Amino acid sequence: MGIGADTMADLKSVCSLDSLRCHPVDQPPDTDFVPPDPTLRTLIQRKKKQDHRASLKICKNRHDLYADELERLTVGRKPEEEADMVPEGEVVLTINVYYPATFEKFTYVRPHVTLLMTGSHSLAELRDAICCVSDLQVCGEFSNTPDMAPDFISKDHYKSAFFYFEGVFYNDMRYPECQDISITTIEWAKTRNFPAYSQAKMEDTRFVDLKLKVGFPYLYCHQGDCEHLVIITDIRLTHENDCLDKKLYPLLTHKHRVTTQKCAVCHVYIGRWFTTDDQFAPSDPCLFCDKCFRMLHYDAEGNKLGEFLAYPYVDRGAFN
Amino acid sequence: MPRQRVIYSDVFYDPLTQDVEELLAHFQQTDSVRYEEFSAIWREMGFSDVFIGTTSRSELKRFCRVALATAVKYFLPPYSYQIRVGGLYLMFGLYNTQLAVPPVQIRLALRDWAQVQKFVKDSVDSGHQDVVYIYQKLVASKAIHYTAMPHLLTFLKQRKRKKEAVCEGFIGRTVAVQELYSADILEEGSNIQSQYETLKEATEEVGSKASMTQRDFTARLKDCMSEFLTWQQKTFSQHNKESGDDEDEEEEEKSAEASSSRARLLSSIKQKSYSNFQEVSKARRHRQQETVEESSSGAEQVQETLQRRRPPSLRARTWKSLGVTREECRHQSWLLSAPEQQRVAVRRTNQTPPFKP
Repeated sequence: MGIGADTMADLKSVCSLDSLRCHPVDQPPDTDFVPPDPTLRTLIQRKKKQDHRASLKICKNRHDLYADELERLTVGRKPEEEADMVPEGEVVLTINVYYPATFEKFTYVRPHVTLLMTGSHSLAELRDAICCVSDLQVCGEFSNTPDMAPDFISKDHYKSAFFYFEGVFYNDMRYPECQDISITTIEWAKTRNFPAYSQAKMEDTRFVDLKLKVGFPYLYCHQGDCEHLVIITDIRLTHENDCLDKKLYPLLTHKHRVTTQKCAVCHVYIGRWFTTDDQFAPSDPCLFCDKCFRMLHYDAEGNKLGEFLAYPYVDRGAFN
Repeated sequence: MPRQRVIYSDVFYDPLTQDVEELLAHFQQTDSVRYEEFSAIWREMGFSDVFIGTTSRSELKRFCRVALATAVKYFLPPYSYQIRVGGLYLMFGLYNTQLAVPPVQIRLALRDWAQVQKFVKDSVDSGHQDVVYIYQKLVASKAIHYTAMPHLLTFLKQRKRKKEAVCEGFIGRTVAVQELYSADILEEGSNIQSQYETLKEATEEVGSKASMTQRDFTARLKDCMSEFLTWQQKTFSQHNKESGDDEDEEEEEKSAEASSSRARLLSSIKQKSYSNFQEVSKARRHRQQETVEESSSGAEQVQETLQRRRPPSLRARTWKSLGVTREECRHQSWLLSAPEQQRVAVRRTNQTPPFKP
């Protein structure tokens, strides 16, 4: 601005942080409790709340402790190598991926996963970062061959997936098994009065190339029918306080924990087997953990005892 | 599990907004933009204590976000320059005294960026060095997040959309009319008109029969503008004088006076804003070059603009899609210099009858 050194020194002294200090330096106020006789309305309100809370006997809330745990771990992390540093001017997106909706029970909470991504990441990387339990589902009845179960994970069988942003379907075409599952929707839309949709490849599109609306719901579909709502909540430029290590992105900042269902016998381990028509089970259907299942249904040599149908079960909270 | 109400989940927090408005009202009364004055008021009110008392970390982060968003609100238009400077100082103060670690950043949206640049340029041109210094200090300490949207998106269903009350006393007065006055548009207009008149006289057939302009067009425009300017200065300085008298009284009475004068401000400013609309539409009519009476149409325009401010009703939208525009109907009511009663009758038939069960 072209001002002299004296004016600069003046400015510095006037606008220093000392001017904002309301209490003398050697008497810092107690930041946990509101001081008595507050004049500001915010403090009056807060004091009321504090007094009310003191009258109830609630112990410390566990949720508060873990609330920002994930974010705290990654804030301000710098990479070891220079090449992995997120460049200046890079855009960071905050994406909420919601768990597939269950309509049996209407809840006020919308469980979701929050991921941070940079603009130069491709959609395929986002897809890889989304963990859904439906990917781990195993189809088939395995009562006769309980040890062969892990060979048939759905993720390996049905690799197709697509994203839908602003009228364009982005398909995953990385593997030869991937089919274009969006074509059905596009053709159906053509027969009705919908504007024409187009297609593109997921792995070729980066976030900077997309046209997005903040807060608008988009779709991620995989396994043919498992649909997730995707909402972009925030877009901003990178800042020195962000995690600057490119390798850590997509970064998980928030994840809803789902309550897991435990074994019907021990109530300790998470259920991994789901049986129907089972003469040993107390209810139909019934959930067992691996140990209890084998102990109850198979003898020491591994022979099947009795009649039952067993399916491997993946609990919703498998990613907790 | 019962639904848990999250505190500070809305964008702004009422008691905090009241505190901030009080601070800015004191600052406005000092009639200066110097940082020393602001920091004196800050210290007097003990404003850095707003952060005290929040125990949980997430609460504190949310509160800091809300506080900074409130400060940014006063930094952007339509507030007057002094209030915007106050907003900038407030941003600086809150950012540096916040208790959250790591500090919560100030969000600046893309659409406001041009306004901010203009503000800084104006400050540089006017030589307000402390304003520029504070701004540069904020930028240098990496306090700003450059975002796409001004507020962080949260998903809580709002039962009732609360209309944010804009503190009327802080809004900057419009200077558009002044600029128009100082520009030489009036001269140009009169030149063009005289040229037109001479050309018209030259063509003998048309000469005296048709006239597209009013003879005293520029004179009337000038009258309107000067009337507006004098009225603006009169009302604005009147309120300044009123608030100036309060300084001798005690602090509680001052705040009571300020709130009652604020109420008076609100009511008078509402009238001001209606006449603002009146002014604009008058000018538009002149440009359209129709012959209309000045006085009678004032009140109707107030009501018509009130109606226009609401989103178009279903009836209006259907009419529009069928090809009959509501604008045309309104235009016609302007063209006819009809007496007041008839105009009211026209409007009544346009409205849907009230529902009777």
